[in-house]
Order: sequence, then structure tokens, then C-alpha cells
Amino acid sequence: MFPIIHWNLISLELLITVTLVGLIVLDILLPPETGKDWTGLISFTALLIMIGFWSTQRNLSGETMGGMFIMDSLAWFFKGFFLLAMVFVFPMTRQFLKSLPKWRNEFYFLLWLALLGMCLVASSGDFLMLFISIEILTISLYVMTAYLKSDHHSLEAGMKYLILGALASGFLLYGISFLYGVTHSTGFAVIQGYAATHAMNPTILFGLVLIFAAIGFKIASVPFHLWVPDVYQGAPTPVTALLSVGSKAAGFVILIRLFFGVFASWHPQWSSVFAPLAALTMCYGNLGALFQTNIKRLFGYSSIGHAGYLLMGAAAGSILGASAINFYLLGYLFTNLAAFLVIVLFFVTNKSDEINDYAGLATRSPLLAGVLLLALVSLAGVPPLVGFFGKFTLLMATVQSGLLWLALIAAVNVIISLYYYLIVVKRLYVDPPRVNSPIPISSSMRFILWMAVAGIVGIGIIQGPFLEAAMTAAKGMCFLP
Amino acid sequence: MIGLGHYLLLSGFLFSVGVIGITINRNVLKILLSLELLLAASNLSFVAFSRFNGDYAGQLIVFFVILVAAAEVAIGLAIVVLMYRHFSTLQADQLKDLKW
Repeated sequence: MFPIIHWNLISLELLITVTLVGLIVLDILLPPETGKDWTGLISFTALLIMIGFWSTQRNLSGETMGGMFIMDSLAWFFKGFFLLAMVFVFPMTRQFLKSLPKWRNEFYFLLWLALLGMCLVASSGDFLMLFISIEILTISLYVMTAYLKSDHHSLEAGMKYLILGALASGFLLYGISFLYGVTHSTGFAVIQGYAATHAMNPTILFGLVLIFAAIGFKIASVPFHLWVPDVYQGAPTPVTALLSVGSKAAGFVILIRLFFGVFASWHPQWSSVFAPLAALTMCYGNLGALFQTNIKRLFGYSSIGHAGYLLMGAAAGSILGASAINFYLLGYLFTNLAAFLVIVLFFVTNKSDEINDYAGLATRSPLLAGVLLLALVSLAGVPPLVGFFGKFTLLMATVQSGLLWLALIAAVNVIISLYYYLIVVKRLYVDPPRVNSPIPISSSMRFILWMAVAGIVGIGIIQGPFLEAAMTAAKGMCFLP
Repeated sequence: MIGLGHYLLLSGFLFSVGVIGITINRNVLKILLSLELLLAASNLSFVAFSRFNGDYAGQLIVFFVILVAAAEVAIGLAIVVLMYRHFSTLQADQLKDLKW
């Protein structure tokens, strides 16, 4: 007997797949010298239509394909998150690809594939589904990282990412096999039933540690962070942006679903692991960032630091902690992508990612300098921007769970991070420019930049509805105990 | 009598060989081979659990894993070819530009 498939639940993923296949066909049919970036334009339009479609799915919930695919408020929230991230990544890609002589369109296919993988991760209800969707996401990211075939940094980053990424997926699979061996199933529902009635045993613990290693690789947590600085520096900038926001959020959606839902009955055991990991991760990231000279590498270390802050929410282990993670990620999306938009636009005209070359950007392009300033200050957590309120909710959740020492370490880390963010700000505003030529920005990019600014300032001032959405996402999750 | 333990021991051995191979090998092709060993070890333990638990889901998973492993190694080899063209070497420790 075959299970019934509820097509309406998987309609967004189907739509993404159809778009992807349609674009590939279109690419074959269109003559190569049409001269216009059709794939980019159609991709962006399709993305906006999909966001409209996504907003109609708000109250959709249920499971299909025998529990492999689940749709709930958490999946809905994160699918919107990934679509929103793509709204920034697509224009970034368009700017970036201008410097490539050919092979432009294939990049969009890979971006769509990564989007499909991320949406499936958010909806997976079975470890097999989880493994396959993570692989869809990661394999397309390997290709995108090594995309600049003639650039040795890109190749080196791709090779390193591939080796460590494949190692992480080997860990994930080996861990799943032990969970399967003990519980006789890979479905989250069955495993949750097992976890609720049994105590943790060494075999399960071994499997869980391996699975956490794979998640830790995705979210860039110590000790699985080794790839981050190298890959962030070497990858094409839009890919770095996607890695820092999309891939990290995909890791956190699994983390929330597994450790706040499926394995919630073992909360005391894993909470005591997350707290020291969070402390180590944020210290490593923020100390490593102190003396960086390449802005993408700086953001790599800063992204490790932010993974540490986010893990605080996981260590808190309460619904408030999960909501704080969701809200912080939303703020992090606008802030980080705003910064990467500036990095891309700067790279297109100056062909450099060195922080020293950013000297005097304020006189060359007040808009770019202003947006970067806002993003850096928000990442550091200065009120009234969104980064401040995100950190505030995370700290509140941590203190409520009685982890006062962790909150104190986070506070110290915020101060450390201010130092290296403000060093960049000093370059932008105090140092004299090396060249005086202004940086041209097209009006469409201006619009995208202002959208990011609206997110950073808007969510910081009017937090209510967004915090509520983050809360709803965490409270309506499947497998909640 | 060969039992579940023996199979798990073998798969654990394969997995360790894979992990050690990745850490000590300097040749990227050997590293890719070791990565394949990791997935093979997982496959073995899936099949062993499936056989001794008496349900077939585990064997089904193996088919999917073989597919994913093929995709992964295809991308891996493509990057290795590019790397050889660019650096004229297969030694992983030649990849050291990205450091401070």
C-alpha cells in the first residue's frame, strides 16, 4: 500500500524544481549571443513570484510521503528566510558575473539547486531525506566555490571545502546508521518515540555526536570550523554570502528540529555540551578576527563568532532560546547580506578584497560606506539596530536558563568584536583614500542596498511582529515534546 | 558464527581507515578514496543492521547513498583535474595560499 502524496505541501519545492529545469531548457534554446542576462532576470522574477506563493502557505501544516516530508511553522519560517536570502544573492551574483567572460548562466542553476536543497532541509522529517537534502545543498556549494576555474584561491577553497564537507557527510551518515540500528527506523517520529521512552545509551550517544559533527560543520562551530576562513576568502563573494547566511541557517533549522524536538527528552545531557561549545566558538571567532587584512576572511571569523552567539540559544534549550535563534538569524540575514552587497560592489570596480583598499570609501561612495558602517555596527550589537535586539533576546534566553557565566562570556565577546568592526569603520571614514575615483552604483543596486538598510533599521525599531513570527515558528514546530 | 558485532567491527575498521587516510595522506586522489571508504563503511553498517533487525529500510538507504557518493566523487574528480591543470601537482600541502 502506497502512502498518499499531498501535493499542496510540497508545491513550493516543485515550483523551484520546475523553474530550475525550465531555466536549463531556456538556456539551451536561446541563442548564445543574445547579449542580455536573461537567466538572471527570469530567476529574479520567478523568485519574487515564489515569495508571493510562499506567503499563501502560512497555515499549511502536515506530513506527506510517509512522514519523510513535513510542513510546519518552522519549515515555513525558514523557507521564507531562504527565499529572502536569495533576493539579495541573485543581484549580487548578477554584479559579480559581469567580470566573467562566459559560463554565467550555469551559476544561477546552481543557486536554484542550493535553494531547493535548503528548502528540503527545512522540511525533512526523516534522516534519509535530511541526508539527501544536505547533499543537494552542499554539492552545489562545492561547485560554486570552485567556480572561478582560473583563480587559484577559488580552486583551493573548493578543494578544501570538498574534502572537509565530504568528511562531515561521512560522519552524518555513519551516525545515522547507528541511530537506525538502535531504533529500527530513520523517521523522526519513531526516533522521538524511542527517545521519550528510553534513556541515552552509548550507541545512541555515539551516533548523536557524529550527527552533531555534521551540523557543527554547517553552522561553523568549533571544532568543525577549520574550513570557514579559507573557503570564505577563496569562494566567489556571492557564494560566501550564501554560505554565511543560507548554509548556516540550514544547519540551525536541523539543530532546532533535532535537539529541541526529536531529542528534547534528553535535554539535560546535550545542553551541557552546547554551553561550552558556544563559549569556545565565540571566543575563537572573535579572537581570530582581530588581525585580519582580508575583509572576506574577517567575515569568515566573524561568522564563527556569530555561530557561537547562536549556539547560546541552543544551550538555553527553551522555546525562548529557539525563538531567539530564529530572530537572530533573521537580523543576521539583513546585516550580513548588506555587508556582502558592499563587498561585491567594491570588488567589481576595484578588484580587491583587502581592508586597506577600503581606505577613504566614505569620500568615494558615501552610500556604500554608510551601508557597510550600518552593517558592521549592527553585527557588533549597537542599539537601536537589529543586531542589538537579536543579541538581547539570546542573552535573555541564556540567563533565564541559568547560564549566567555563558552570558558574561558573550558580553566580553561583544566588546572584543567591537574592536575589529570599528577598525574597518576607521578605514572607511578616517583614512585618506588612495584613489579618488567614485564608485558607480546602478539604480537597481541602490534599491537593493536600501532594502537591506530598511531591514537592519526597521526590524531593530519595530521588533514586535518579527519576534512574534520567530516565536510562532518555534512553538508550532513538529515533534515538539 | 558471524554476528552483528563482527560486521560493525569491520565497518568501524573501514571508517577509521577512512578518517586516518584523510588526515595523513597528502595526495588528493588518495584523500578522495578515503572519503569513499567512509561512505562504504556506513553502507556496510546500514546493511548489517538491516539484516539483523529484519527490516529492509536500511538496504534501501544504501542505494541512495551510492547515488550521492557517485555525485560527490564526480565533483571531487572534476576539482582534482582543475587543480592539476592549475598547480601541476596533486599534493594537498601545496594548497597554502589561503593563510595568514
